Parts: sequence; C-alpha cells; structure tokens
Amino acid sequence: MSKEETIQQELIKNFGFLEGKFRIPRERRIFLDVPADRFMDVFDYTVKKMNFNYLCIISGLDEGENLSFIYHLALNYSIILNIKISVPKSNPSIKTITGYFPSADLYERELEDLLGAKVEGLAKGRRYPLPDDWPIGQYPLRKDWKPQDEPEVKQEKSN
Amino acid sequence: MIYTLFSILVFPGLLFLSIFGVIAEFIDRRLYARFQNRMGPPWFQPVADFIKLLAKEELIPEEADARMFKILPVFAVAAAVTAFLYIPLWNTASLFSFEGDIIVVLYLLTLPTLTFFLAGWYSTSLYAMIGAVRTLTQLFAYEVPLFMGILSPAILADSWSLEAITRFYGEHPWYALFNILGFAVSVIAIQGKLERIPFDIPEAETEVVGGAFTEYSGKFLALFRMAIDIEMVVCAALLAAVFLPFGLELHPVISFVIFIVKLLVIIFIMSLMRSIFARLRIDQMVNFCWKYLAPAALLQILISFILKGILVR
Amino acid sequence: MGKVMIPIGPQHPALKEPASFNITLDGEKILDMIVKVGYNHRGIEKACEQRTYIQDIYLLERVCGICSHTHSTCFLQAVEEIAALELPKRAHYLRTIVAELERVHSHLLWLGVAGHEVGFDTLLMYSWRDREIVMDILSMLTGNRVNYAMNTVGGVRRDISPDQIKTILPLVDILEERTKYYIQVASEEVTLIERLSKVGTLSHDDALKLGAAGPTARASGRDIDVRRDDPYAAYADLSFKVITDNHNDVLGRTLVRVGELMESYKMIRQLLKNIPEGPIAVKAPRKIQAGEALSRYEAPRGEDVHYVKANGTDRPERVKVRAPTLANVQAVAAMLKNGYLADIPIVVAAIDPCFSCTDRMMVSMKDANSRKENFIDWKTLRQYSIDWYKQNRGVDMSKIKISKRW
Repeated sequence: MSKEETIQQELIKNFGFLEGKFRIPRERRIFLDVPADRFMDVFDYTVKKMNFNYLCIISGLDEGENLSFIYHLALNYSIILNIKISVPKSNPSIKTITGYFPSADLYERELEDLLGAKVEGLAKGRRYPLPDDWPIGQYPLRKDWKPQDEPEVKQEKSN
Repeated sequence: MIYTLFSILVFPGLLFLSIFGVIAEFIDRRLYARFQNRMGPPWFQPVADFIKLLAKEELIPEEADARMFKILPVFAVAAAVTAFLYIPLWNTASLFSFEGDIIVVLYLLTLPTLTFFLAGWYSTSLYAMIGAVRTLTQLFAYEVPLFMGILSPAILADSWSLEAITRFYGEHPWYALFNILGFAVSVIAIQGKLERIPFDIPEAETEVVGGAFTEYSGKFLALFRMAIDIEMVVCAALLAAVFLPFGLELHPVISFVIFIVKLLVIIFIMSLMRSIFARLRIDQMVNFCWKYLAPAALLQILISFILKGILVR
Repeated sequence: MGKVMIPIGPQHPALKEPASFNITLDGEKILDMIVKVGYNHRGIEKACEQRTYIQDIYLLERVCGICSHTHSTCFLQAVEEIAALELPKRAHYLRTIVAELERVHSHLLWLGVAGHEVGFDTLLMYSWRDREIVMDILSMLTGNRVNYAMNTVGGVRRDISPDQIKTILPLVDILEERTKYYIQVASEEVTLIERLSKVGTLSHDDALKLGAAGPTARASGRDIDVRRDDPYAAYADLSFKVITDNHNDVLGRTLVRVGELMESYKMIRQLLKNIPEGPIAVKAPRKIQAGEALSRYEAPRGEDVHYVKANGTDRPERVKVRAPTLANVQAVAAMLKNGYLADIPIVVAAIDPCFSCTDRMMVSMKDANSRKENFIDWKTLRQYSIDWYKQNRGVDMSKIKISKRW
C-alpha cells in the first residue's frame, strides 16, 4: 500500500464519513472533500496527529452557489493533502486556522478581500491585498464581478 | 595686505581649494570605480554635478528654520577653508601661525560635522533627524582617537604649532617613522569625519535615505558637497603636514609637486578603504573606536613620550 | 531622542518594490513594526481567468521579473497534469537547464543587493558583473535576458544545439571560479561578517511555525527543498545536495545561497552532459479537459505554488498563485525583533523579496517602408541606438566598448 493510501485509510478509520471523498490523481497528491461543519475536526487531526506541518496556501474558488476553500497541507514537505470545503455564498463563514499556522493570516485576509469570505476569529488588522479605499462589497475574484471602467481622468493641458 | 587677501581667497585659499577639492573628488570617485571594476565618471563629472545642483530649485521644508537652513552650508565651507590657512603645505611655513594652532585646526575641522548635525536637526524631518543624531554619536567616537593620533607627533616635536612640528620633522625626517601607528589611527578616524565607508553610517542611503542632507537640494546641497570635498583635501593636507614631512626644503615647484603626490597617496588609501569594507552599524562603530582605535592612539602617545625621553637625553 | 515612528516605504531607497514597514524606534532600537504589503497587486489571477492558456503563460511569466521561468513552468506543470500530457524527456531537461540558470542569475543578483544594503558596493559591482555571464547564456538559449518565453503547453519552444552546449560549459567554469571567491569573501571579510552574523535571527521553530520557505528556511536548519522532496521536471535524474545551515541569521542565508550556486553549476553540467535526444514538445489540445491540479516548484526564493482548475474550455476556471515571498514576508517581523534600524534593509533583503528588473531583449520592429517585420540582431540594434543618439541627442556613443564574449 502506498503512503497516500495509508493516509487515506487512517483518515477514514477516524472519520467514517470521509469514505469515498478521496481522490489520488498521482503520487504525492491527495484531494479530499470535507463537509464544512466537520472541517475543524479533520483539520485538527491531520495537523496535530498526522504531522502535516506545512501550509502551502489556501485557495478560494467561486462555484456559483457556493464558495469553496482548499487548504493545501504538506507532510514532510512532500505529500500534499488538499482539503476542500464548501460554504454557501449567502453566508460564507469559515473558521480561522491562524492558531495552527500563524502564516495563514495573510492568506485568510486575501480570501476576505478577494472573495468576500468571512473568517471567524481572524485578528483585526490591515487588509490585504486591496487598497484601503477599495469599495465595500466588491469582491474581484467572484465570477459575477466585472472590472468597471475607471472614470476618465482629464489631463490638464500645460501650455 | 593684498598678498594676504590673495592667499586667503585665491591661492592657496578658497579658489585653489575648491578646484583641488573637485579634482580630489574626481580622483576618489575614479579610483573607487576602478577598484570596483567600473569605468568611473569622466574628469568633469564633479564640476557638472556642481553646476547641475546650482541650477536646481531649492526646496526648504515648511517646518524648518529657513535662516539656519540656508546659512549652515556656508558655515561648513568657511570652517573647512579657514582650517587650511593654518596648515603648512609644501614648505614649513603656513599662512598664519601661532603656538597652539594645531588645536585650532582640529576644532575648525570639527565645525563642518557640527553644521551637518544642525542641518539635519533644523530640517525637522525624521530621516534627517536620525542622520543628525548618528553624525553626533559618531563624532564622539572618532574624535578622541583622531585628536590623540594627530597630537602625538606634537609631543615628540615639543610644540603645539604646526609650523614648528613640520620644521622639527623636516630636520629629522626619520622620526616620522615612529608615528606610523598614529598615522594609521588618524586615517581611519578621518574616514569617520568625512562620513565614508565603513563609517558612512549618518548618510547610509538604504537606511535613512540621505541622512542629515535628506531635505537639502539645489545650491545648499552643492555647498555642503563642496564643503565635504574641501574637508577631504584639508584633512589630507593636515595628515601630510604632520605625518609625511618629506621634501619640504627643496625648490618650491618640486616641493609643490611632492605635496600634491602626498595628498594623492592619502586619497588613494582612503578610496581603497572605501571599496574593501562594508558599512558598520553605529554601535559596532562606537565599539570599534573605543576598543581598538583609542587604545592604539594611546599607545602612540606612550611611544612618543618614551622616545622624547630617549632622544632628548 | 524619544520614541519615533519611522516609515520605511512604500517608497524608500532600500526597497526595490513597494512595501511598507512602519517602525517604532527607541533611538536606534526597533520596538515595534507593522508590515503592509499588497501595493503591487495587479489582479493577475482574475486576468488569467479571462485569457486562454497560451496567453496565461506569458501573463504569468510577468508575475516576477527575476523568476519568470518559475511561474510559467509551475503553471504549465499543473495544466499538463490536468490534460494528462506526457512530456518528452528533452523538454524536461531544457526546462530544468533554464530553471537552474535562472537560479544562478537570481542568487548572484541577490548577493549584489545584499552587499549594497550593508554599504558594500564593491560586492554589488563584482557580482553583477559576473551575473552578466549567466544573462548572456540565457539570452543565447532563449533570446531574452529575462522573461525567457521558453515554455509552451506540452514542452518548450527552443532547442539547444551542441555548439551552444560547448559555449556554455567554459562559462559555467568561470562562474564557479568566481563563486568560490565570493564564498571566501562571505566567510572572511570582517566588516561583512560583522554586519551579517547574529542579524535577523529566525530560529528553527519559528521558521517552521511561520511557514518560511526556500533559502530562508534552509538557513534556519529546515531541510526542505521541493526539488528533492517533490521532484518535478528532470530533478529526479540529478544528483545534488540540499544546502542547509544552522546560523539562523543573514550570514546563514548568504552561505546557503552561495552554496546553492555551486550545486546549480553541478546540476547544469549534469544536464548538459546527459540531455537526451528527441522532440522538445508534444502537441497540446487548445481546450483542456475539466480537472484540478496543484503544482509546486522550487523557485530561487523558495517554494512556488500554483493551483489550477480547468473547466473544459480554452480558459482556466481558476488560477491561484502563491509566490515564495508571501510565505517569507511574515517572518520578517519575527526576524527584526530587538534589532537595529540599520539592520532593516539587509534583513528585508535577506528573504530576497521579488522585484522586477530591467529588461533588455531582442526587438522586432516594423520597417517604415515595408510591411514586413524585421528581426534585428544585437549588432544592428546597437548600431541603431548609436545612430539614434548621434542624430537626436548629438552624443557619440560608438566609442563605448562592449564585451566580445561571442
């Protein structure tokens, strides 16, 4: 049994509902769908018990009705476990993981800025990466967001 | 009277000094570039820079004290030029001389540094303020070794007059060899006075932008740069007078050429130091000056005292 | 002087691209600092969704001026995984050659910048002069000094000839010789060591906790390298060491980088010697089947991650880019704790934040008389610029010598 399958077996043993949610497209890559309400349990187990100690990035996706978030975790810097959760766009609330990975701070701020996720428990701080005067409620990475033409700036004529 | 005025304003005073300062800057920049494997600027570059700065608009920060802001660069130039008048150049006679002028010269050379500090302080800008404080912190570190290093030859010569010192060493040129340690200490300390690598901490551009001169522009900056160029020549001339007393009693033209060569050698050493070191941090600089430079200068003074006892007997 | 708040950035001589560090100082000591990044956000991820895969390669190549090959390769690895394309071996080797040359060019550039930040401009001039050699190799192989445009879906766009291999090998020897000299400088020059050691310390645990990557992590004793741990392209065929260091400070980061340079030369030689014959690309479909993939790549600055989701059209559904600097920038605040103002530039520079650099490339210009596009080589381009300056500015530039390396 390959390492990837061992990881799959261990997770299924502890979380029965994960049966059939795995996809192993190639060596060192595991994709996994987790229901949003059980995410913290699975995440806690993988980080604390299975020693996935490196967070590559959190990707955010706009999938029409839902917003999805993929947490890319690495084991020994080599095997990547991609945990995906989906939350409805009407209430896109997720919990922060800065308690596990302080470096997730910027990644989560990015989700808030670009996709309009609501990250519970994220410490107050400056926004990233959009400018401070960016209009509220505009989330550029959502599929229905279109860039507006900037009002034309009239050049002063210097004669 | 006319001769005195000519000496002060034209030769070897202000005009000669300005031109030689510009040439010294060019030589320094060119050497620095060649050490770094670059071509370096053409010969007229310092002049072009000076003229360009004169043509630029001067901006004075609103918060700054405008009068002080404008007058400080003039003070810097004046102090450096005045110091030059007391230094014997290619012979053993200086333009003006009295017992104790070596102290006056050293104090006059401190004045430009103080104007840099005040310039930064009156600019009321953060970067300039930090640069100014660094200038002053550094001053307290290198000034003591510099004083001790330059005064130790005076102890051996038993006089506080630069003329008398050069005359003494002119008569016994080999005694200059005993002062090599003092020479080394002084050259290093002068790198600090001229704010050059490794002691260019006050104007470290990657940290405090332009240091004390951050807010300066146009002709005021040009004057400050001129003051630094002149200071470099004056410092080199002082070192040459105190530590390299050779070829003083020859034909004036030959002596003059030898004098120029001496200055170029000192500028060469200073350029070399500039290109082989990294900039120190202010605490490391102060540490270095008190831990190594000051004891070395003390040792030199000790050597001078002992020699004086032996040679007098 | 009491407590002052000093802004380093968004524009500052120490920073080559906008970022803001607001620092509270007590004299020269740092009490507190606030990092703000994001000034360079250009909406590339959104723009990728509106362009085809081929267009995205060139767009992503411009994420960074230095590691341009990094981003296009990383993106393509994900796309090719989704499309289930099997690349010819020669294409993998060519990608790896450019990747390692890019690492050499990036590390030499960093060495110069580090020298400049601590006021050691001589090191800057020396290492940037030597960097010209690797830039010339890159322009010979790809046509450009930066933004190489070497990649395409399913392979690479240019082949390497035996003549070129013969030209490159002695140049790599020169570079190796020079790098040995820099190792000597970094380990012997007193003032340089004073400025680098015990500065910007990042302990092993902090490096792990803050998710540092690349040379920054390796200098804190983290033995991680995507090239070895998650091999891609031709790295599985190569033998190389992962350089780590336990100094935990800027000196360690310097030693790791110069050490990596030596490893890169070794790898370039192996690659040039063992490059297999064969085609350099396979035919790729315009539309990529639906799917998703995560691709990793060891950029000169650390781990680069691309997540690509395809939806069956010729445009990607989502492209997520995480450049290594984003992982490392969060460690800067920890590194600068109890540090000095004078250390800020070098500590910030030591994570090697990405910044663009000037481009010099072969140009294709429209001839005024014919509608045909002319391809201009170096010599003609040089002559053109000399004539232009003589005519329009009255300056004669023809006397300036250029290197006669080829």
